[in-house]
Amino acid sequence: MGLIQLKGRQERAVQPGIFPGGPAWLTTKLDFVVNWARRNSLWPMPFGTACCAIEMMAAAASKYDIARFGMERMSFSPRQADLLICAGRVTYKMAPVLRRIWDQMPQPKWAIAMGACASSGGVFDVYSMVQGIDTIIPVDVYVPGCPPRPEGLIYGILLVHEKIRGESLTRPELRAEDPERVGKANKLPEVIDQVALPFGNSTSQNRVSGLVSTAAVARPLDRKS
Amino acid sequence: MAERVEEARETPVEGEAVGVGEGAATGSGHPSVDALRERFGSAILHHEVQAGDEHVVFIVPERNVEILGWLKDEPTQAYDFLKDLTAVDYGGGRPLQVVYQLWSMAHRRELRVKAELPLDALEIDSVVGLWAAADWLEREVYDMFGIRFRGHPDLRRILMPDNYEEGHPLRKDFPLRGRFSRAEQTRRALAVSVEDVYIPQELEIVAIGSRQDGTDQSAGALPSTPERAGGSEA
Repeated sequence: MGLIQLKGRQERAVQPGIFPGGPAWLTTKLDFVVNWARRNSLWPMPFGTACCAIEMMAAAASKYDIARFGMERMSFSPRQADLLICAGRVTYKMAPVLRRIWDQMPQPKWAIAMGACASSGGVFDVYSMVQGIDTIIPVDVYVPGCPPRPEGLIYGILLVHEKIRGESLTRPELRAEDPERVGKANKLPEVIDQVALPFGNSTSQNRVSGLVSTAAVARPLDRKS
Repeated sequence: MAERVEEARETPVEGEAVGVGEGAATGSGHPSVDALRERFGSAILHHEVQAGDEHVVFIVPERNVEILGWLKDEPTQAYDFLKDLTAVDYGGGRPLQVVYQLWSMAHRRELRVKAELPLDALEIDSVVGLWAAADWLEREVYDMFGIRFRGHPDLRRILMPDNYEEGHPLRKDFPLRGRFSRAEQTRRALAVSVEDVYIPQELEIVAIGSRQDGTDQSAGALPSTPERAGGSEA
């Protein structure tokens, strides 16, 4: 892959070596419990910079109510947050702030790029705009739309749930975080130039996000049991 | 933008434009324009009427503070409110225009004053001494157009980051995506230390409260740590 910065893990109990080899009965059951707990109590860090934030607020309000997914507690401190929702356009002047907030969030953590601007710069292919926040921080799920409706954001959150469901304690590299990369760009310079070509980032995101395509991820209700 | 209306067209417009003033207009349709011409003579270059009743006066940039100060302090004018201060670049090597949008609360009268600056001499006197509102507006014009305001108390960028070195974005010769590559722009953006821009003391309400009883806890945190400013390579 090389493009995506793998995230670090600070849990002492799961240092590599404790669970050598592949997943076994104990680790998979433990994975199930840990992932169940994590995905059902995601605390979002709302990084709302534009109109998408209004939709995010609507998603948090009573009609759409992301409290149904254990997310009622918007964490305005990154230190108590699990899921960064970047809702809106990010300028280059804002980029170090976004990176700092991401660095301040403890592992495990996930990120959603909500809306066209956060995902790819959107229509703002101009001198002042970050062309997709995945050049700054690693992003797990991109929610398209301008702005996406609350249903769209909730679908993105459920995709994060699916991603959490697939994680395993036997793969600590998923949460590995390089201290050298704190405050640095998330991608190599040539990749940033590449994705910043017109329409560049919007066509590269399936590859960058680690999901083959969003259609390949099945939600629980979609499954034929 | 309204098109530039020629001086010749102004005379027929004059009849309906009088509604703005008190009807005593003689030559231009705007009492302040006549008064300016009478007082400053050749320093008033020409006068336009745009969009029916918007009077625009072009002045020589060297005397802007004198003329604007008179407009502000003269009781018959009393333009005490600076609505806006901005600039326009029409491109094609034409001079940049500094625009002062004035409003007189006493006389309920509006006047737009423009000063043209050639591209090789982008300097004009600051009017912060006249209207304090001009402070950030002049910083914005400096940031976006590169016009230097002589005598401004704190002339630095206001919108773009302090380490921005690609030029002045609203100039017509500025490329839409900036001069540097996206990678370089990202590198430079992330090289900015958050502490340098957002002073912790500035953000901390607690620190302001504690200053009253003499125990300023965050005084030592004010200068940014040098090692963070150094680690800027991507």
